[in-house]
Amino acid sequence: MQLTKEKLLIPDLSNDKLIDLYKQMWQIRLFDEKVDEFFAKGMIHGTTHLAVGQEASAAGVCALLTVEDKITSTHRGHGHCIAKGATADKMMAELFGRTTGYCKGKGGSMHIADVEMGNLGANGIVAGGIPLAVGSALTAKMKKLDYVTVCFFGDGATNEGSFHEAVNLAAIWDLPVIFVCENNQYGMSGPIKEMAKVEHIADRAGAYGIPGVVADGNDIIEMINVTDEAINRARSGKGPTLIEAKTYRWKGHSKSDAKKYRTREEEQEWRKKDPIKRYKEVLIEAGLLTEEKAEEIRLAVKQEIEDAVKFAEESPAPTLDDLLTDVYA
Amino acid sequence: MAKEVFMPKLSSTMAVGTLLQWFKEEGDPVEVGEPIFEIMTDKINIEVEAYEEGILLKKYFQEDDEIPVNTIIAYIGNEGEEVPLESPGISGEDTDDTTAETESESSKGIEVAATEAVESSSKTVPVDGKVRATPAARRVARENDFSLNTVPGSGPKGRIHEQDVIQAIADNTVLVTPLAEKIAKENGVDLTLVTGTGVRGKIEKADVLAYIEAQKAPVKETVTGERVKLKGLRKAIADKMLESVRSIPHVTLTSDVDMTKAIELRKALLPVVESQTGYRLSYTEIIMKTVAHVLGNHPKVNAALIDNEIVYNNDVNIGLAVAVENGLIVPSVKQANKKGLAELTEASKTLGKKARDNKLTPDEMQGSTFTISNLGMYAIDGFTPIINPPETAILGIGRIVEKPVVVNGQIEVRPMMVLSLSFDHRVIDGAPAAEFLTELKESLEDPYSLLV
Amino acid sequence: MREITYLEAVREAMSQEMRKNDDVYILGEDIGVYGGAFGVTRGMIEEFGPERVRNTPISEAGIAGAAVGSALTGMRPILELQFSDFITIALDQMVNQAAKIRYMYGGKGKVPMVLRTPSGSGTGAAAQHSQSLEAWVAHIPGLKVVQPSTAYDAKGLLKAAMDDDNPVIFYEHKLLYKTSSDVPEEEYSIPLGKADIKREGTDVTIVATAIMVHKSLEAAKELEKEGISVEVVDPRTIVPLDEETIVNSVKKTGKVIVVHEAVKRGGIGGEIASMIAESEAFDYLDAPIKRLGGANSPIPYNPELEKAHVPQVPDIIKAVKETLNRA
Repeated sequence: MQLTKEKLLIPDLSNDKLIDLYKQMWQIRLFDEKVDEFFAKGMIHGTTHLAVGQEASAAGVCALLTVEDKITSTHRGHGHCIAKGATADKMMAELFGRTTGYCKGKGGSMHIADVEMGNLGANGIVAGGIPLAVGSALTAKMKKLDYVTVCFFGDGATNEGSFHEAVNLAAIWDLPVIFVCENNQYGMSGPIKEMAKVEHIADRAGAYGIPGVVADGNDIIEMINVTDEAINRARSGKGPTLIEAKTYRWKGHSKSDAKKYRTREEEQEWRKKDPIKRYKEVLIEAGLLTEEKAEEIRLAVKQEIEDAVKFAEESPAPTLDDLLTDVYA
Repeated sequence: MAKEVFMPKLSSTMAVGTLLQWFKEEGDPVEVGEPIFEIMTDKINIEVEAYEEGILLKKYFQEDDEIPVNTIIAYIGNEGEEVPLESPGISGEDTDDTTAETESESSKGIEVAATEAVESSSKTVPVDGKVRATPAARRVARENDFSLNTVPGSGPKGRIHEQDVIQAIADNTVLVTPLAEKIAKENGVDLTLVTGTGVRGKIEKADVLAYIEAQKAPVKETVTGERVKLKGLRKAIADKMLESVRSIPHVTLTSDVDMTKAIELRKALLPVVESQTGYRLSYTEIIMKTVAHVLGNHPKVNAALIDNEIVYNNDVNIGLAVAVENGLIVPSVKQANKKGLAELTEASKTLGKKARDNKLTPDEMQGSTFTISNLGMYAIDGFTPIINPPETAILGIGRIVEKPVVVNGQIEVRPMMVLSLSFDHRVIDGAPAAEFLTELKESLEDPYSLLV
Repeated sequence: MREITYLEAVREAMSQEMRKNDDVYILGEDIGVYGGAFGVTRGMIEEFGPERVRNTPISEAGIAGAAVGSALTGMRPILELQFSDFITIALDQMVNQAAKIRYMYGGKGKVPMVLRTPSGSGTGAAAQHSQSLEAWVAHIPGLKVVQPSTAYDAKGLLKAAMDDDNPVIFYEHKLLYKTSSDVPEEEYSIPLGKADIKREGTDVTIVATAIMVHKSLEAAKELEKEGISVEVVDPRTIVPLDEETIVNSVKKTGKVIVVHEAVKRGGIGGEIASMIAESEAFDYLDAPIKRLGGANSPIPYNPELEKAHVPQVPDIIKAVKETLNRA
């Protein structure tokens, strides 16, 4: 489907789905903006990691996934959850520590999971989810199930042993897994340029004999296209693909980050590549969206987030009896 | 070398002493003979004096601590001299080497040092006021309402184990008379639940019957009011009286004595004795003098029964029951038969005061062969005094009161006094006891016969 | 009943389960034609094929994580680690993932897997191949920890571990692999959390794990000659721990010695001793609780030093006598 002169969408997606994805990107952004506000106000305890600016990779990669497909996510995982079908109300309730949250208030920001919906969980351990994704893919292969597993991780995770061990395992066993590295340039404060000698993280794929693809992580169409190819490979038994989505987190690493390790100019450069704005322009140019409609969508999402907050606030807190439940199955 | 100050053993029965108060602080200079602290035994309070001079280097115990005899309580020595941090325990057990050992310990093999520590301190009595006992030993003691203080521990450093307590309880309470045992068996009574009132807690028939009765009608806790633990002097008296009553078959004889002449004698000698001694002669001394004299003719009454042996005492030492605060003390007037009334007066008055002031020495409290208990200052005529073991008899003295008596067929008013003699029927039979009392009565009615 | 070895019992338990349940598979290093570092899986790849007896690269973190991920998505993996020392490399996946996933996810999802691994010294394999690190994992809520001491227990406990919906760390003792006992041919399950009184006695309780069960039994036999009656309790699983059986035994004897091969400091013996002290058995304790465990050193290579590192029969006898004041 030729959307604009430059933008060709390879997989077949309906117009409604394309508008839905636009809405989803706003859901991701506004959810995290709201969380940011609450943390600033001290209304939520603990910590959080926001993915504002990285909406295209989450939404783009998950655009082609079914309910059967799995994802593993990271500490910066709210976007992945939303893209995999999680709703803002239960997510917000989780951040508020309420029983109606995805984890009954026991997981919090870093551990939102919805196993039944194929979300195998966010993870507080950098690269911790990568072997899990490989295990999930192993299940698919052994049980001859058709699902694929998408494994999200950041640039920092690729220097963990787990990453190398897991990618190698997936490679030698031709497992149906798609490794999506969201390279937002910094592992906390560490610039990936200083932490790895390779120019692209995707280059590391060569070491395991699998394809590595560099993509513009702020271009949802490109993300959909590269994921489409990786999914086809996976489903046809050809094994994993490593996709590197070049992107940028607009906010700091976590709630208290003075961002001394990067310049304001650099931040401004990346803001110009705002994935939502870019997608909106494509949709308008393709005749699928108007400015008015776009604003309508944004406001609707805003209301949705407000409703989620209300839901969370009105939800019951766990009782002390819940402390010891769910430790063992 | 620092010298140890230890808990003195003031009587053969004394096992522990209670530290009442310190007169000195650590660092204070101490002279020989200066009181360092005061203790209370089961009989008396006494000040313990220093045997050495120097600086009081270390005090290991506090007031109210119960301390086994011979336990090192303190050290006196030169300033700066090193002493152990904790009481080394019993004096005389290698304590001279204690400090040296502490210093050289590091040069020894750890294993060796540890073993020695265990061995040397094994079987010692606790010295820190805390009992070293296993939880199980404590539970058994608690369940049996049994004090761990008296239980010898068989474990390392005298640790009391469960079996030690069981043994101690068995040693103490499973003493039972054959009859009591039979009754208990017939009635299905667990003897461990019965409190024995006999000697060393021996269970007797009455105890078993009392227990059975108590089981039938459980006594409701209705008594309210202040509760004071039986301890110290009160406990000593309680134990001794119980022992006496339970072990000695008492018989009490009474006799009325016409005190007319004794009164005359007292009137005549009162100024004499007072000018000699400064004390006023009382009937107690006249009676004591008479008793001492008559006892010379009745050695069985001046005897003691000790471990199945009758001991006929050479001396006549008269014990004088003195009421003191919260109890009764019996100082002993030594060789009363060899003392005149002036001497007797001085001795009994002095001892009485010392008793009331809690200043008696152990020696002054020991050795009586016959006891007199005088209740004549009250409206008491006759009573049944309890023998002061191991003595074989005791004389109770009532008031002198004017009564109508028949003298030569005529009713006359005479000052009369009742003598109550309790005797141990194991040693003395009725007739010889009666002979003694009769002679005593006659002597008091004719005191001049004493001069013969 | 026939006698088979501990090693065979482990293999038989796995094989019987794999014949019944396609979700069960085993993965690990050199478990294929090689048969595993100690030969436990020998013959299994021939029966079940390379898909279900999955030979892996030397990637303990990776394969542990793959096991967790596959368990989370419906498989029931058995992960073999060649030496329990290597659990250090797999620990993030076991401790931060496997143990916590269910709780973190609010009771959704489960991780039914068994991590089997041989532990213990006595083979001369020195410091990095001889440790007993079970206390590390016992510390982590969400994990279960099993330490069978006999072939019979190994088969029944492994069956229970495979049936369990939680991650179970299953410690096999290298020196016990060749020991034999009567083992039923059919499948049977020994519930996790049920201790076994390996010998009844009245004077003193020894709580011993793994190979120390056998050393304690040997000591008990010697002590019997001196009229000392020793009860040997084998918890079999340290998580969950059968507190009741231990407490009852201690209440009976009043004296207890806890023996394990792992280093005494921070070992599970401290946990057991504390549990006893906190329990109603406290009032029955008639001697201090004694612990015997490995020395505070890495495990040395020299055979005499290696032996000295862990409690031996004479050490146990000595401890019993000290506890009974008969030293």
